[in-house]
Amino acid sequence: MSMIYRRLQTTSWVVLLLLLSLAVQAQRPSSARRQRRLQAIEADTLTDTRRGPYTVVVTAGGGLSYYSTHLGVPAAIEQTRLSRFGTPSSLRVMWYPDHRLRVGLETGWTTMYSYRGQVAGENTHVYVSAVPILVVFSMPLGWLTGTDRSIARRMAITAGTGLYVNHSRLDYLGTVMTNTNSLGWMAAASYTYPIGRRFRIAGELKWFDAVAVENAAFTAELQLVWRAFSW
Amino acid sequence: MKPVIYSLLGLLLVASLSCRKTYEALVPYDFTNLPGSGQFGTAVRAVTNGVYTVSNGASEFGDQVALKWTYLHNGADTSYYLSVFTGKDAAYFNLEGTSQTDSLVLGGYWRKLVNDQIGLAQLTLRVKHQGKLQLYKGQLAPGDTMVIDGLYGDKNSKLSHPITLTYNRPLNSRPFSIMAHRSGGRTSDLLPASENSVEIIKLASRLGATGIEVDVRYTKDGVPILYHDNTLNLRLIQKNGLMGPVEDYTYQQLSTFVRLINGEKIPTLEEALETVVNNTALNFVWLDTKYIGPMDKVQAIQQKYRQKALQAGRDLRIIIGLPSTEAVDSYKALANKENTPILCELDTALTRSLGARIWAPRWTLGPQTAEVQAMKAAGLTVFVWTLDEPEFIREFIGQNQFDGILSNYSPVVAFYHYTEQP
Repeated sequence: MSMIYRRLQTTSWVVLLLLLSLAVQAQRPSSARRQRRLQAIEADTLTDTRRGPYTVVVTAGGGLSYYSTHLGVPAAIEQTRLSRFGTPSSLRVMWYPDHRLRVGLETGWTTMYSYRGQVAGENTHVYVSAVPILVVFSMPLGWLTGTDRSIARRMAITAGTGLYVNHSRLDYLGTVMTNTNSLGWMAAASYTYPIGRRFRIAGELKWFDAVAVENAAFTAELQLVWRAFSW
Repeated sequence: MKPVIYSLLGLLLVASLSCRKTYEALVPYDFTNLPGSGQFGTAVRAVTNGVYTVSNGASEFGDQVALKWTYLHNGADTSYYLSVFTGKDAAYFNLEGTSQTDSLVLGGYWRKLVNDQIGLAQLTLRVKHQGKLQLYKGQLAPGDTMVIDGLYGDKNSKLSHPITLTYNRPLNSRPFSIMAHRSGGRTSDLLPASENSVEIIKLASRLGATGIEVDVRYTKDGVPILYHDNTLNLRLIQKNGLMGPVEDYTYQQLSTFVRLINGEKIPTLEEALETVVNNTALNFVWLDTKYIGPMDKVQAIQQKYRQKALQAGRDLRIIIGLPSTEAVDSYKALANKENTPILCELDTALTRSLGARIWAPRWTLGPQTAEVQAMKAAGLTVFVWTLDEPEFIREFIGQNQFDGILSNYSPVVAFYHYTEQP
C-alpha cells in the first residue's frame, strides 16, 4: 500500500512541477516576442505595471461515466447484472489569474459501479460511488497566441490530486453503508465554447482514479462555465 | 506549439508512472498431498532431520540449512512434508516425498520471503558410505553421512542449478516457541495462502512455526472471526465493492461477499481452532484481541477447544492475548476468568497482578534482560513480538533468554533456533 501512495505522491509532484514549469515558460516570451515587446515598451513612455484581470470561474457539469478498471463480483452471486456506467456530476471553482496556470477546487459525485443478483433466492445489490475533493490545476493549450477562435486557446488540460470519499452500499440481509477515504488524482481535457459574455459551455473528458481503493472511472461531461466575477 | 507537446509528454509520463507492477510468487509445484509417508517412514524422517552444510547452492541459500519434517492430518490420513530453513533472504524449501520407487526423491519448491523469488526443487537422498556416494535406501551404517542433493530452478526456468546438502549435526532440541504472526504469515509476503485463513494455518508448520498468533475481531452479529485490519481493504481482500469497518458486516454478509486475497473465506475463530486441533501439529495459539468489548464469547471458544484438544490427546495451549488496557478491562469483566489462560503485552507489574502466565513485550524495547530474568524467575514464560530482523532474531536466540519469538518470518526464526549450538 505504501508503494501505491509513494507512486501517487511522485505522480502528483510530477504533474505539479510540469504545470508550474509550463506556467513559467508561458510567461517567458520567446526572443522574437521579447524583441517586439521591448520595441513596444520603448515606444511607450508609460510602462503599464497593473496586473489582471482576475476571474473566479464556476463550472458545473454532468454526463456519463464508465468504470474503467478491474472489479470483482463474488462467485456466490447468481444471475449477476453488472453495471459499469453511471451519471456523474461535478462542480469546480477556479481562479483564472492573468497568466496561464489556473488553480481551483473540484468536487462532485461519480458512480463507480454496481452489481445485483441473487444468493440462495435472496436479492443482493452492491453500489459503489465516490465524491472527489481535489485541488486542480488547469491550463489552456494556447496562450497569447492565435485568436479567441483558435482551438488551442479553447482547449485546456486539467490535473488534480486530493481525497476521494468512496461510498459503498450493500443490500443483502440488511443494508450496510460505509465510507472509505482514499488518495487519488484526476486528469482531464476540455473544449470550451463561448455562448455569452459570462457563460460558456464545455465538453470535458476526465479520468478519476482513487488509488488506494483501486477505483477508476472515465467520464464525459457537458459543462456550463460561468465567469462569476472579475476584478 | 511547444507547450502542447510538453503537455502531451507530461500526460504520457503521468500515465506511465501510474501503471502499477503486480508482484506475485506463484508456487510452481502441485503438491500431491498423498496420505501416508510412502518410502519416507518414521526412521527415514528421523535421520533426515538435522543441520546440513551447503556446498553447491551456498551462494543462494547460505552455508548451512536446517531440515525438519512436519505433518498435516486430514481425517484419518496424514501427509508429511520436509521443510528446509536457510539463513539467507528468509528462504525456505517446502518438499514432499515423490512416488519414485527406485530412490528416495523429494519434490517441491523454494521461496525467498524478502523478494518474489521462487522456483522448483527436486532432491534425492543419498548416503556417503566409506567415502563413496550412493543412493540412500533406508539404512544408515555407523560412519555413514546423509547427503541430499539435486537441482533447483528459477521462477521461469526448469531445474538447472545444483544443490548439495551434507548432514552436519542434529537440530537444536532446546524447547522454544516459534510463533507465526497472522496465523502463519503476511499476505504481503506473497505466501501461497492469505494471512488469517484456514489454509495458512495448515501451512504454518511447514513455514517453521510451532505456534500461531491469530487476530480476533467480532462481526456485527457477534461472531468472532480472524481478520487483522479494522477495515475491509484491498491489502487483505479481493475487490468486491465492500469497504469500511469489518464490524459493520454480519458474518453471513462477509461469508457470502468477501474472499481473502488468495480466494479463501474469512474464517470464524471456531473454524480456525478446529483446524489447529484436527489438522496440525501446532502446540500454541495466541488469540490477539483486536476488538474492544466483551470477551466472553472468545473465552467460551477458548475453553471449548482446549477441551477438544485434551480429548484428542493434544498438548495445545490456547491463550488470550491482552495487548491494551481496553483488553485488560474486558478480561477483568469476565466471570470465571481464573481458568482462562492469558498473555499480557503490557508492563511486568500489570502482568503479575493479572496472574498472566506469559509476558510478551515488544522487541523494540530491547532484550530487557533484568525484567525477563525476573519474570522467568517468577515462573512466567516470556515471548517477544513481532521480530522480523534476521540479525536480531539471531541475537535474541543466541542470548537464550526468551522462550519464544513471534515473527512474520517464522522460517528465519526456525533456521536460527534449529542451527543454534548450545
